[in-house]
Amino acid sequence: MENVAPQMADPLEYSPGSGGYDEVYGDQQNPREHWRYLLEGFRSLGPQGIRERQMKAERILRDDGASYNSGALGISSTWPLDPVPLVLESEEWGAIEAGLLERAELLDLLLKDLYGERTLIRHGVIPPELLFSHGGFLRACQGISVPGEHQLLLYAADMIRGLDGRMRVVGDRTQAPSGAGYALENRTVMSRVLPSLFRDSHVHRLSLFFQSLRVQLNQVAGHITSDMPRIVILTPGSLNETYFEHGYLANYLGFPLVQGSDLLVSNGYLWMKSLGGLERVDVVLRRVDDYYCDPVELKADSHLGVPGLLEVVRSGRVVVANPLGSGVLENPALMRFMPQIAQHLLGRELRLDSVETYWCGIPQDMAYVVENIDRLVIKPTFRKKGVQSLFGHRLSAAQRAQVLDQIRRYPMHVVAQEYMQPSVTPSWRQGELCARPTLLRSFAVASQGSYSVMPGGLTRVGEAADALNLSNSDGAISKDTWILASEPEKKISLRDVDQQPRPQGGGRSAVFPCRVVENLFWMGRYAERTEAASRLLRTVFVQLNSTYEMPEDSRNLLLRSVTELTTTYPGFTLVDAELLAEPESELMAVVLDAERNGSVTANLNAFVRCADQVREMLSADTQRLINDLRDEVGDLKELLQHGLASAPEEALDPLVTSLLALSGLWHESMVRGLGWRFMDMGRRVEKALQTVRLLRAALVQELPEQEQGRVLEAVLVSLETLMTYRRRSRSGNDMVRGLELLLCDAGNPRSVFYQLRQLQQHLAELPAAAHGVGLAAEDRYVLEAATAIQLVDLEQLTTADEESGQRVALDQLLARLQHLLEETSGQVSGKYFDQIKVHQQLVNTAWDDEL
Amino acid sequence: MIYRIRHLTRYEYEKPVSLCYNMAYLLPRDTHYQSCRSSQVRISPVQTTGQRRTDYFGNTVYYFSLEQPHHHLEVDVTSEIQILDSKYARNMELDLDFGATCGQALVQLQDSRELSLLEAREFVLDSPMVRASQALRDYAKPSFNRNRPLLSAVRELTHRIYTDFTYDPDSTHVATPLSEVLKKRAGVCQDFAHLAVGCLRSLGFPARYVSGYLETLPPPGQEKLVGSDASHAWFAVFSPGEGWLEFDPTNDNMPAENHITTSWGRDYGDVSPLKGVFFDGGDKQKLTVSVDVARI
Repeated sequence: MENVAPQMADPLEYSPGSGGYDEVYGDQQNPREHWRYLLEGFRSLGPQGIRERQMKAERILRDDGASYNSGALGISSTWPLDPVPLVLESEEWGAIEAGLLERAELLDLLLKDLYGERTLIRHGVIPPELLFSHGGFLRACQGISVPGEHQLLLYAADMIRGLDGRMRVVGDRTQAPSGAGYALENRTVMSRVLPSLFRDSHVHRLSLFFQSLRVQLNQVAGHITSDMPRIVILTPGSLNETYFEHGYLANYLGFPLVQGSDLLVSNGYLWMKSLGGLERVDVVLRRVDDYYCDPVELKADSHLGVPGLLEVVRSGRVVVANPLGSGVLENPALMRFMPQIAQHLLGRELRLDSVETYWCGIPQDMAYVVENIDRLVIKPTFRKKGVQSLFGHRLSAAQRAQVLDQIRRYPMHVVAQEYMQPSVTPSWRQGELCARPTLLRSFAVASQGSYSVMPGGLTRVGEAADALNLSNSDGAISKDTWILASEPEKKISLRDVDQQPRPQGGGRSAVFPCRVVENLFWMGRYAERTEAASRLLRTVFVQLNSTYEMPEDSRNLLLRSVTELTTTYPGFTLVDAELLAEPESELMAVVLDAERNGSVTANLNAFVRCADQVREMLSADTQRLINDLRDEVGDLKELLQHGLASAPEEALDPLVTSLLALSGLWHESMVRGLGWRFMDMGRRVEKALQTVRLLRAALVQELPEQEQGRVLEAVLVSLETLMTYRRRSRSGNDMVRGLELLLCDAGNPRSVFYQLRQLQQHLAELPAAAHGVGLAAEDRYVLEAATAIQLVDLEQLTTADEESGQRVALDQLLARLQHLLEETSGQVSGKYFDQIKVHQQLVNTAWDDEL
Repeated sequence: MIYRIRHLTRYEYEKPVSLCYNMAYLLPRDTHYQSCRSSQVRISPVQTTGQRRTDYFGNTVYYFSLEQPHHHLEVDVTSEIQILDSKYARNMELDLDFGATCGQALVQLQDSRELSLLEAREFVLDSPMVRASQALRDYAKPSFNRNRPLLSAVRELTHRIYTDFTYDPDSTHVATPLSEVLKKRAGVCQDFAHLAVGCLRSLGFPARYVSGYLETLPPPGQEKLVGSDASHAWFAVFSPGEGWLEFDPTNDNMPAENHITTSWGRDYGDVSPLKGVFFDGGDKQKLTVSVDVARI
């Protein structure tokens, strides 16, 4: 193995890897010209310097929220980036580019043929079974066509360089190719962490590719509408592996990011459900596999698509890119026939070879595969989640028998390819440059009558020197891909759009789906809910740990308040002397138990989930804070492992600080658009509700004077109003003064009245379309609440009933306020947010499985 | 012979449905043996959008949506079909001892570059509801040998299914897998059609599913009841040289003038009479179907 280096080896001395073609050395003794500058650059940085750059890159990626979701639900890891790029020189790239362009042209013709005349079958170029047995051939898509010259708008190819130094295509991606956004993010990070090395290397920029994409989509839309077109990116949602990229591209291209449920087919058109009403959609750039896009005609139980979409596509009123049905081109068995297909459709052979491929649907091929399985890579013709390529030489006897059985039973569904030993490139591992197997994904977009190839791409290297599967789900690490310009720094007149997203041109206002607004509203609510719970818990922890022991009544009252405020019932509302005497485990659960509704952890998780849904709407600073919060949830368990003995109030401090920073950020740097308004409404409603709950739980019960003072102070501390309270004149009844501050004071940004005022302002600014004549229900609720507070007689409110010791008037007022606030939230949700519904099937099609 | 067919489908929902999108395979297509003189669809409440088109298999499909809240959905299709004289040339008494033998058929399917044969090969492959299996192959095998004309063998298979299987509407539902039908030896016309298709495909012959209607006659001396007819299903096999020929395993015959074809596909899933998705509507729904096939 090449990384068993002699003891005094220089970590920056890259020696050629054993086995595969070496990208650095090729067939020479010394590093090839185009690698030298880079390797020297790394040498002068030294191991420590590289390590620092690597950490900086990791930090940027994390702050950008660049992640790849894999494995179990919700496990997302920061996108891995190797600081060493793959370097290709201009001339060599020129040949690859020309080959890719030609292949894209061919696949475009092939797609037209397969869903049109099928001359390839008529003329016997491909066996009918090759097409008809493939799960990607969607019969419902027969005859659908994208206006303009090309059907296939986006194309990506996975390529490996073989031992002979030639690049070969090992896979075609024609559905919704992923990776272009990650390539762009890699580039952005690399140019920041290695600015001078990057600048002086004269690397081709990526921006032109994305501009071409934007231009192409706008041109296609021009066939549908004469207005400013509406283009959206359709994502399966935040659990998708490459969700980061969806939001990233949406921002970069200036298109709204939508999920299936954000769209609606109505009156023969496709619409986006936005806050202002329905917005017509002209083009859908999809990241959802075609089969899932329409439950009416395709996969009946899919909830990722839009019912009726295909019929709108068919009528030509919307374009989906890549077109529905284009997954048929991903069938690797087509590679077996690529030379003949090229002859038939293009009249010549392709410049860029495919890896040698065998299709078990042909008896001779199957015989060969069975005979030579040890040197082949076995793949399904139709990609499915969880089904991987199998490497013949790594199979155990049992596995081999299983594969052979599979081949004999379903020969048409199995393809085998010659195993190509991938070329190797230097990769920075554990402080040294090591050779790693390399896979390059390149991207092409239809442009001006042909295709435009991204000068670069997404390179992935295996985690281990002998890694076989070079995909992210198998732990591969990504690299930037540098195509060196042949002349020193062609100062292209392109603006440096690599760095910053540009908003969609034209005067169209930013529109986003209701779902986004709803998530912002709930982000606001969960943030406040978490903060309120953390503050109260902090106060309670301090009191419990205080040297001056609290009388039992007040202590129990505070504990009950914890349950009431967090709604973690039954908790301390149970009449359970033991629990009240030993509250530690229950309190810890209120902080840590993610399964418990209302716990700090559960609220934070809910907050993070909402944030994930609207990631593309959040600034980099906000994302950074959200990352911190995510970490802080993880840290809590550790910090609180010794329960009350571990100074739990301090464990909650960073959380409260981050939440405060977040609210400061929202206040200071978020544009006052509808998104902000809804988020702030969420915060106001929740803050008011939390205060009302706490007052009701802690202050309705009258206590002896001494104790009353202490409980009131605890409430004031928890609501961050103690200082003001103390500064104010000390005359009069303490309770009256406290309640005045917490309930009625228009100048206290933590008072209930203050929140109501803010809510009134927000409601007045919401889109008029949703307002009727006069006051809407939510306006009335807020007005009633505000008025009730203004009319309050504080003396009367603080007077307790002699028999019960309860402040009855206060309780009634707070109960009413609580009700009004909850109704307000309900009204706003019902009116502005789309109530996402799940469709049912008219006929249960349980058989509707992919073949 | 001219038939008027009325096919009424009615769904009643527990709660109002806010929105629905549907596809109806209820409009008979033209075939070699029949021509559709007219057909019309009436939907209640009135549809928001509706579009008729020809699908991948050449069937007529009607796509429609209802975008106002509704408690019921009624799809009322009336069509007039002329059965062409050529259909009389074949009947169940026909001696089927002609055409390509099973062996020849397999070889020709493999080697021929003729378009109809290339296209027929699509129907040898598995489809979502009908997949080849050893059990189906074993069941079919006795009727097929290399030197026997394919059509003769298929006629016998049709007869065997008719004899071996009990017609029992309670034994299966739309999504009952074929393996279960084979085990239970019972089912309805749709199952028998699928069964025959599965048998043929398991042996490498192209077969497709046909949906349509069968005119029924009341017992002698009785009036025919309104709505007493039903939609029906049978299958077709492709014999190189002879083309697609139809067989009805439920009635042990070859569809003649009283079989009216609506659509065909790889299996029921391609041509189910009415499918779609809807929003809201509660948990329960009531479905009533009535069909009348009348000579005019």
